[in-house]
Amino acid sequence: MNRIRNLQGSTLVLTLLALLWVVVVFVLLVLKPSVFSLATVTTILQFSTILALVSLGQAIVVMAGGAGIDLSVGGIVSLSAIFGMLALKAGLPSFLLPATCVFAGAVLGAFNGILVTRLSILPLIATLGTFFIYSGLALALTGGAAQSGVPGWLLIWGRSVFSSIPAPFLTIAIPVFAIAGIVLMWTAWGRWIYAIGFNERSAHLVGIPVDRARLILYGLSGALSGAAALISLAWLGSGRPNIGQNLELESLTAAMLGGIAISGGRGGVGGVFAAVILLVTLKTGLLQLNVNTVWQLGIVGALLVFVLLADRLSQRWR
Amino acid sequence: MTAAFLVARGIAKRFGALTALSDVDLEIRPGEVLALLGDNGAGKSTFIKILAGAHPPSDGELIVEGMPVAFSSPKDAASSGIATIFQELALSENLSISENVFLGRELKRSVLGVPFLRRAEMRRRVDSLLKELDAHISDPEAPVGSLSGGQRQAVAICRALNLNAKLVIMDEPTAALAVAETRKVLALTRRLAERGCAVVLISHNISEVFEVADRIVVFRRGRKVAERLRAETDPEEIVSFITGAHPGVRALEKTN
Repeated sequence: MNRIRNLQGSTLVLTLLALLWVVVVFVLLVLKPSVFSLATVTTILQFSTILALVSLGQAIVVMAGGAGIDLSVGGIVSLSAIFGMLALKAGLPSFLLPATCVFAGAVLGAFNGILVTRLSILPLIATLGTFFIYSGLALALTGGAAQSGVPGWLLIWGRSVFSSIPAPFLTIAIPVFAIAGIVLMWTAWGRWIYAIGFNERSAHLVGIPVDRARLILYGLSGALSGAAALISLAWLGSGRPNIGQNLELESLTAAMLGGIAISGGRGGVGGVFAAVILLVTLKTGLLQLNVNTVWQLGIVGALLVFVLLADRLSQRWR
Repeated sequence: MTAAFLVARGIAKRFGALTALSDVDLEIRPGEVLALLGDNGAGKSTFIKILAGAHPPSDGELIVEGMPVAFSSPKDAASSGIATIFQELALSENLSISENVFLGRELKRSVLGVPFLRRAEMRRRVDSLLKELDAHISDPEAPVGSLSGGQRQAVAICRALNLNAKLVIMDEPTAALAVAETRKVLALTRRLAERGCAVVLISHNISEVFEVADRIVVFRRGRKVAERLRAETDPEEIVSFITGAHPGVRALEKTN
């Protein structure tokens, strides 16, 4: 019954998101029939891959509660991309680039985790601090210039398309979400994350290593941001020091839209995935309609408020 | 009479200059409900915290099943078969009953080091525990958030039983419950003892204690001032022990 209830919760979110997505697509098509070419679909999925990985990290950190939030994800994406490229310039063999990006992300994320769990700094403050450190460092190390020289084989992977679906989406985003879903639903680790997120004290009393779990989740969020950095390199062909800009707010929006409770302990990854697709579709569509960037942000904000309102109302009606 | 599961000898606890507990001797036997009574600050909570491994005693020794033990954490106490059900029940409301009963020690099947849950097996075990306790909870998959206070106590008791606890300490289990719920929890307490568990019950409610306990121990100002079998005492006598009006207590306090 619990499972059904959970499922109902997330089906509600999923249905709402699917409905919104249909509305968005419909409106865009009416306003500009040429808006969705196959190339647009590819672009949307490519952008989605990056946002999806970052949002997944954000979602698990928020889900584990304790006022968990990771504002530094954008900074981690920028800095691990730059770090990978600089390491390449310093003579790193190119086949190690993927591992280096992910590892750099994991280390930066684990640093957040240490600040939060060992030093007991409020996550909002700790990750706001590291957000400035990481994104500032990315700019300082490069003087703001894009770093070129991504190895050719990586570009082939990053830019190849199977029936208009980009390779990174198929080989990274989908498997990672499938694994996350399975771990959350069917393993003891997943139950622990929900338990920690909902009631930290009780989780502690039954012997779950709360701090260690949180540390690992921050590290994991960092590693996912590192993977997103790698995909940005493979796609764009250069490491840009500001590639992660706005990702912290967008990933948080996706997590909230996807039904992750900001207080922790509730939500699933399916909703996050759907929310990412919706967000990127909306943004790409608005871009194609030449809507001012300022308005784009406003529309995303309105969407967030609307979905949270719907969630609140549906809880009251239940 | 059965051999004691736990023997406390000369237990004392001092917090700096404050003596919270001095020279307490107590035996806890399997199959018996032992009620701890006493006014606020009498030392009951300190005593159970020592049993539960949350505080080390300043003096005295604990003997579990004939072996002297020294608990440095609640985990040590749990591995000696002592489970404590605190007032805040330590349940996770967003998880189901069976998930709560097994939380932290899930049954799992390891695939490549990943601990997959054995849900069916856990559900079956919890189902039989709930039946055995006659807890009137039909669905072990129901979320704990949907249960009443008494049913939550039942889940916490299931948790204790699932850890193979031989001594279950219940800290005011009925403090926040409605009348009908209180009845159920008292019945559960009895059933726990009939199952062969030793039960230590802390309560403020004298009529409740007389209904369920086999033996009654009264604490006052950090000392054990009385120990009576239920059949050999009455509520007036116990109240006089608690308030210190009993001549025996007065004599004891005068000598100190």
